[in-house]
Amino acid sequence: MRATTADREQSATYTYLICAAAWAIPGAGHLLLGRIQKGLTFLITLTLMFVFGLWLQGRLFPLTELSQPLVALAALADLGIGVAFFIAGKLGLGAGRVIAQTYEYGNAFLIVAGLMNMLVVLDAFDIAQGRK
Amino acid sequence: MTSHAGLMIIFALFVSIVFGTLMRDEPKEQLRFGARLFAAFVVGGIVLGWLLYPLPL
Repeated sequence: MRATTADREQSATYTYLICAAAWAIPGAGHLLLGRIQKGLTFLITLTLMFVFGLWLQGRLFPLTELSQPLVALAALADLGIGVAFFIAGKLGLGAGRVIAQTYEYGNAFLIVAGLMNMLVVLDAFDIAQGRK
Repeated sequence: MTSHAGLMIIFALFVSIVFGTLMRDEPKEQLRFGARLFAAFVVGGIVLGWLLYPLPL
């Protein structure tokens, strides 16, 4: 039996909700799709990597300095980690201490955690679409 | 722990875990792929470090 337009719209909405959840909380998309082991691994690893980046005094680049391309790209990458980005900002974390020996390492951890969460979102999208 | 090598190893560990989990479905395969990736990152980093060592900065 062919899927109706309503079915397809419902399926698309569900897929986007899964993606939103996957972005907001690392691994949440996989957990909602029943991939418990993968979801928990992403949740623990990516959150730990983000926290590690903050501990190393890396900077969460602000979304307000979009006139500087490198800062804007770093901010977009940082944003990939989801709600944690905003929580850390509210708590005053991620200010970044440029003179700290570990500043650049911290930035690398924060940026890569965000970018990898974006890949996790894409994986959740593929699973929700039935491609995997 | 916050030495360059120490942080490189921790970074490689995180990235290997995520990619191992992302690229393979079976836990055993994830572990094998992740371990190979981790070894490649660490060995590659050390080799690259030594190759760059003679270059003046």
